[in-house]
Amino acid sequence: MEFTLLAAAAIAGASAYTMLWWEARHGNAARCTGNLWEIGVVSAVVGIFIGRIVAMVIDGVNPLAHPMDVILVRSGISTVGASLGALAVFAWLSRREPTAMADGIAAAALAGLAGWHAGCLVRGTCLGTASDLPWAVAQAGSTVTRHPVGVYAAVALGAAAVTLAWWKAYRRAPAGAPASIAVIAAAATRLALEPFQPSISGGPVWFYAAALAVGIAGLVWSVLRR
Amino acid sequence: MPRVFRLSLVVGVLALVTAACSSAEPVEGIEPPTPITSTEMQQLLAASTEPIVVNIWASWCTPCRSEAPLLGRAADAFGDDVEFVGLDVRDTPAGAAAFIGEFFPEAPITHYADRSGQIPVDLGASRGVPLTLFYRPGGELSYLHFGVIDERTLALQIDELVSG
Repeated sequence: MEFTLLAAAAIAGASAYTMLWWEARHGNAARCTGNLWEIGVVSAVVGIFIGRIVAMVIDGVNPLAHPMDVILVRSGISTVGASLGALAVFAWLSRREPTAMADGIAAAALAGLAGWHAGCLVRGTCLGTASDLPWAVAQAGSTVTRHPVGVYAAVALGAAAVTLAWWKAYRRAPAGAPASIAVIAAAATRLALEPFQPSISGGPVWFYAAALAVGIAGLVWSVLRR
Repeated sequence: MPRVFRLSLVVGVLALVTAACSSAEPVEGIEPPTPITSTEMQQLLAASTEPIVVNIWASWCTPCRSEAPLLGRAADAFGDDVEFVGLDVRDTPAGAAAFIGEFFPEAPITHYADRSGQIPVDLGASRGVPLTLFYRPGGELSYLHFGVIDERTLALQIDELVSG
């Protein structure tokens, strides 16, 4: 069962790596382009680990008493814990030139998220709430057609990643603006699609809204600072 | 001084994590699940007038423990529209009672026990755990999930039962 998650992670990694490779050929803003891949992967893996531990704590499972439960990522990962953990690790690893590194990995991070959501096709988790729209699809054996919400997310984030990469390559972006735009795109996509996601207790809407506000503030700051 | 500060920080964080991570204690007075036969289980499913989610678990099963909180939340959220049934297989009464006390002390889930582990096989599943089966009213199988179930899949399949 866990192999489908690995496949989705592989698609995410391949998407991010392809974007970094393309950006390196078109003048990536960061001087340490070669390190971005390693820093990004380490940040993502540690973020997932932290997100899993946070989810276990929230569920009342002691990670010290049940350490093997940490690898059961399908049981749930805290989006808030994973995101903040990955950002903290990234900030620490790129502390010498944080703005340039954040701008350098911005489009690749969006591409990686798009690849992760596209992995729903492998995992069989693309469907969301019921819908009568022409492109709504039903799962096997059902007559209820649904939003392919995983595909929506992949398309939206993929389009944002390509647009951002093109902008970075052919326009002079203010320092900090690409990273802020990536945060805005990721947060806005999750916020917009949350009503279409099947959920037991609802997603962390407050966190997506806060991330959107932080991204907008960062963009304003980078433009004014220019 | 910075070294002492760092050490204090590490110790403090570890203490906080340890305190925050304490597992729920088993609740006193939890009865072990009622034994049930394969025929009785199939009769229960066939006689149902509302959708049923059957989760097959065991107290010795680590993946079962990891998905149990999610099932408890689902039962709390959808218990009015869907009946939740837990089937404890190849387990001891004491282990099963402790598991229910730890994860489902107040969740609206009816638990049964199958010491032989044959019922899942008779239902068309396998001897592995965990398993989650989704039944429409009358006992028609809607979806069978092998292994640990994630929130999206559980929510989607419950919605299929409710809206279908």
